[in-house]
This record gives sequence, C-alpha cells and structure tokens, in this order.
Amino acid sequence: MTSIARSSLLRQLAAARSATQQNVIAKAARATAFHTTARRDILPPLPQRVDGTVNDPAPVPPTSPSHGSYHWTFDRLVAGSLIPLTVAPFAAGSLNPTLDALLCATILIHSHTGFQNIIVDYVPAYRMPRARKLFIWGLNAATAVVGLALYEFETSDVGITEAVKRIWTA
Amino acid sequence: MASLRSSASLLLSAASRPALRAAAVAPAAVRGMAQVTDGQQQNQMASGDQAKLKTFQIYRWNPDTPTEKPRMQSYTLDLNKTGPMVLDALIRIKNELDPTLTFRRSCREGICGSCAMNINGTNTLACLCRIPAEDMAEMKIYPLPHTYVVKDLVPDLTQFYKQYKSIKPYLQRDTPAPDGREYRQTKADRKKLDGLYECILCACCSTSCPSYWWNSEEYLGPAILLQSYRWLADSRDEKTAERRDALNNSMSLYRCHTILNCTRTCPKGLNPGLAIAQIKKEMAF
Repeated sequence: MTSIARSSLLRQLAAARSATQQNVIAKAARATAFHTTARRDILPPLPQRVDGTVNDPAPVPPTSPSHGSYHWTFDRLVAGSLIPLTVAPFAAGSLNPTLDALLCATILIHSHTGFQNIIVDYVPAYRMPRARKLFIWGLNAATAVVGLALYEFETSDVGITEAVKRIWTA
Repeated sequence: MASLRSSASLLLSAASRPALRAAAVAPAAVRGMAQVTDGQQQNQMASGDQAKLKTFQIYRWNPDTPTEKPRMQSYTLDLNKTGPMVLDALIRIKNELDPTLTFRRSCREGICGSCAMNINGTNTLACLCRIPAEDMAEMKIYPLPHTYVVKDLVPDLTQFYKQYKSIKPYLQRDTPAPDGREYRQTKADRKKLDGLYECILCACCSTSCPSYWWNSEEYLGPAILLQSYRWLADSRDEKTAERRDALNNSMSLYRCHTILNCTRTCPKGLNPGLAIAQIKKEMAF
C-alpha cells in the first residue's frame, strides 16, 4: 500500500499545540507585523508519485561530466586557489594589478558556481523547469554585470585590494 | 519478548502466586526471565510505588481516515517491566496498551533495518536505541523524516529501493574466473569492502540528509551512494567505468554537500560521508 499523505513537522506541531498557545502565537504574530517575510509554503511536497511499477529502477540520468565531475573538480580548484590569492597581497605588502585582477576573476567564478549549486539544489528542474531556466539566466546576467563592474573598477579605479585596504583603515 | 514476559508474570502473580511460590523449584518456573520481573514486582510492593514511569509520545496517522491530521499520542510505561530498548517499549505498547500502533520490526538486534525511526530527533534503529533510564523526560518517536508515511511509524521506502535497484547492486563481470572456479580476491582487496558491506539499508542516513530531503527524486542519497562505492571498490567487478558514468551528472552524486548527518546518524557506525568523498575523489581527474 502506498502512502498518500506525508508527515509534516509543521502540521504535527500545529496539532500538538493547545488553543491558548495558538492564541499567544497569533498575538505575537500580530505584534511582530514588521517582519516582512510572510509565512508561506514554498514548494510544498507533492503527493506521492511512483514512476512505472515499484519494481522498476529509478531512471539513470545521462552522463554529463561538465555538470558532474568536471564541474566539481573545477569548483574545488577555484576554491583552493582563492586561499593563496587572498593571502598574497598581505604577504607581499604591495599591490600587483595582475594579481588583483586574478583575485577578482577567481572570486567572481567562485561565487558564480556557488550560486549555481544553490539554484540546482533549491530550484528543481523536474518540477519547475521554467523557473530553473529563469534563475540560471538571471545568475548569468548578474555575473556578467558584476564582471563588467569589477573590470571597470580594476581599470579605472584603485582595484579590489586597495579598496579593502582603504575601508579597513578608514 | 519483554512484554510477553511481564504480562505472563502479571498473570501468574495475580492468579496463582502462592502455588507458584511453592513450585518455584520446578524447572519451568526457574528458567526464563519471568522470575526477575516477578521479583521486581515484589520489591515494588514492599517499598511502596517505585514504578519508573516513562512517557512515549508517538506519531500517529491512520490512512483509513486520511482527512484526520497526524497527531502525537502519549503512552506511559513502567520501565521496570519493560526491556531496555525503545523497540521493547513499542512492542509492549502494542501488546498491552494499543494494538493499533503500527511499526515495522523484525530481528530486534540491528541486522534487518526494519525498525528505523526518528527517536528524540535522531534517526536510529529502535532495537539499538536504549531508553535513557536516568532522566524521566518523555521520548518522542516519529517516522523517518521527509518520507511518505504509510501508517504511524511506517515510512514508504519505494523511491529508496527504486534508487537502490538503479545502481545495479550486484557483481557485473564479462570474463569468467581464470581457474573456472569462484572469483578470487586478495586480502587487501577484500579489506576495502569493510565498512561498506555491513550496510543494512535501513535508510536512517538518507532520510537525515537535507540534500536528500529536497532532491530525493534525483539525488541518490548517502545509503545508495555507499552501496555504489561498495561495488566501485570491489576488485572483482568489471563495470567500474559504467558505474562511474551513471553517477557523473549534476544530481545523482554531486548534490552531496558534505553535511555529514549521514555519518553522525548511522546506527551501524558506518561512514557514508567518507564513501561519497572517495567516489568524488576517484572521479575528480
């Protein structure tokens, strides 16, 4: 027999709460109305669905190293290379424009792949393919804009290391 | 067992205590644990109410009345008459208090993996989880988190088993053994399987993994990845490349973010997190 309802922690909590407790909570919610985030169900779990019979194996996705092993390895290399790049300006004590540009680019790529991972985690393509596409292209656009801004900052202004230095001593 | 024991002793003590006392030398009365609980009951009577009462709050949901919300139901047991493990308590509740309580159990010694559930916020096997005797705080027992519930403490593991089937958990070879007998393995190669083959697929680790909570449709989860590595690491298996290709996409393996809830919760003391890290490392270059 397949299950048709799932256990939801929130529902259990709501059931376990007494009426007076719920009153208190409702009042507290009214008192704290300045909290801008409303409580809403984002991606509530769907009713259970079994593809094929229960004895069929789950489908195996097509091999794609650029989204799998290459992506992961690249992620780790970028993250690892950030450590010496961050330390280098402090160790050298001086400003090197090439190193500065390299640091900028690595941070940009690092945050891009990081956000990509978040989107892949929380915007499932099988459930909301259009939102997924929107998010991915939004991220691409944001990365392009930030990249352009960093380029401008590096070429026509003081550069990231010097900026951090000034903010630090300000 | 514990419940049978105590109910039997209750019956005995109520119906034929003097007769039993007289016949205490009889082998049937001497052997078995009934005497121990019997003695404890006598102690209780002698020194007033020494009952060690413990309350268990258990998740209840009945598929026959699907519109009713799940609820927590409290059961109070005397620990003196209950076995040491949570499963003993559950069986006693089912036998003596509420026969409608539903849960899976089989071996009661951590081999079958049937009684996996969430006890006091930790996924574990009820048969391996001791009832804390020192504090009398109530215990909360839920089904495995983020699973579809069949009834009460019974989770639906259909997707889990379908995913297990998808990794082809069996030896794949094209070439026969060189001497025509069994496939042999050096002791060093066999040692690589230690810590992997012991997995009983109780799903405690997979259902404790936030990544698996969000993406169980596509991400395989720690238990299945541990089993994947068990076959990747097997020196007798010849389809290692195919097995790796099957994992080489954005969802199957790489949704693991090294949260390590799996390793923390494993009731068998295995390390799925390490196995996943090994797969990632082997596939890295």
